[in-house]
Amino acid sequence: MKDLFWGMAGADWALLGGGIAAILGGIGSAIGITAASSAIAGIVSEDGEKFGKLLPLAAMPGTQGIYGFIAAVLVLIFFNLLSGEIDIPAAIGFKIFLACMPVSFLCLVSAIYQGLTAAAAAGIVARRSEDSGKALIFPALVETYAVLALIVTILMLTVLQTALTKM
Amino acid sequence: MRVPLFKTVYDAVYYGFAVGKVRVLETRIFGGGTYERLVDAPSFAEQKRILSDTVYGRYLENAENADEVEAGLETALDDFYRFLAEANLPEPVVRFFRVRYDYANLRAVLKARALGAPLEGMIVGLGIVPVAAFEGPAERLPAYLAKVAAALVDEDGRIAGVEAIDATVEQAAFADLVETARSSKSRALRDLARLMVDVANARAAIRARRRSRPASDLAEGLLKGGTLRIRDVEKIYALPFAEFVDALASMPTLRGVDADALADPSALDVVLDNMISQFLRRARAVQFGPEPVIAYVMAREAEVTAVRTLLIGRLAGLDRDALRSRLRELYV
Repeated sequence: MKDLFWGMAGADWALLGGGIAAILGGIGSAIGITAASSAIAGIVSEDGEKFGKLLPLAAMPGTQGIYGFIAAVLVLIFFNLLSGEIDIPAAIGFKIFLACMPVSFLCLVSAIYQGLTAAAAAGIVARRSEDSGKALIFPALVETYAVLALIVTILMLTVLQTALTKM
Repeated sequence: MRVPLFKTVYDAVYYGFAVGKVRVLETRIFGGGTYERLVDAPSFAEQKRILSDTVYGRYLENAENADEVEAGLETALDDFYRFLAEANLPEPVVRFFRVRYDYANLRAVLKARALGAPLEGMIVGLGIVPVAAFEGPAERLPAYLAKVAAALVDEDGRIAGVEAIDATVEQAAFADLVETARSSKSRALRDLARLMVDVANARAAIRARRRSRPASDLAEGLLKGGTLRIRDVEKIYALPFAEFVDALASMPTLRGVDADALADPSALDVVLDNMISQFLRRARAVQFGPEPVIAYVMAREAEVTAVRTLLIGRLAGLDRDALRSRLRELYV
């Protein structure tokens, strides 16, 4: 009889978790970058020399999409899904899914807020170019929590990989 | 249910480009230093030279007399209002800024006809209605203006007196502003319209009380749409002037306003206009939404007024002290 958890096999849960991490991180980054870029484009349209100083602010919310992508790739690598061996017990698969949730939701929310913070910080650069370093700090603070979520997800996936190896 | 994050993200994306532009453009709004240089400039030519490096340079490069200065600054103001539309602000926000000029033009037309004076140079092209429309019969104006004009003309075609024209047109203009702000669905604009009505009502009430005009006159003159409750003002109107001003200053709408300043005729306009300045300062601090754009355009309006005062004052031969005192009346 096939091993299922809530009607889904272990590999299905693992792929769903990895997929959600990549999707939500990407959505958050897209929204965050759009929010920051709208304001930055307005500033650059009036003062093109500030482009270089503003570009890091626009790019910053993009990291959450990368974290989601990393989580998804780790799921594929840690649990041998790339090799086609998809023999994951359903209970472990569900736990892999849960392990992907911290990075998924935190990246979604933190990327949006980071985009808003970056848009506000761009106002600092608009007024005083020399404060561009200071302006970078505020959105960088938001990044911390996305990084912590990625670390938590990686640790959880590592534990689950070890557990699966011992089975 | 309104989710604040959704609205914030929407505002950040929808108004982001305009707010970004404003963040740069507002750094170019004149500070005290530029005004001081304009006051100290020994001639109109020197004032023009100072302005040549600013946004006003291209509007004033060929101006040699007061009419040309007026025309140049009118074009500058027109471009500032155009920015509202370019900035994706809803149509009612643009109307809010422009419709005031339609009412001002209507007032000029009606007064000119009442007094039999020429209309030349009295109409400004900053409104929604084209200037040419004001040169024809009032019935052909858009309905919102024709209605006001009709109310001021009797059955025999006689136009009401100048005071009645002022009062009726002002009532209609403020009612239109309040309604336009309401339809804009912008909380900032609604608050601004309410504040403008409150400031106008407070000014009217204090002046009427100082002149000991009857309470019935006051009730007719007060504008609707503000937070200052007309009934409350009527209740305190019978008090002696000093107590009336104290009571007015203690009302929630005017909280924080110095009662002594309200009682002082020379400080009244400044203290009431400061209420609008405070509103604009708060609006500029908003990060996402139409508020910074509205505050920027209003700051430019004030700047145009100051520049006009200084240039035309200098052309009229006013000295530095006279110019400085006129500027102080605008910006204390």
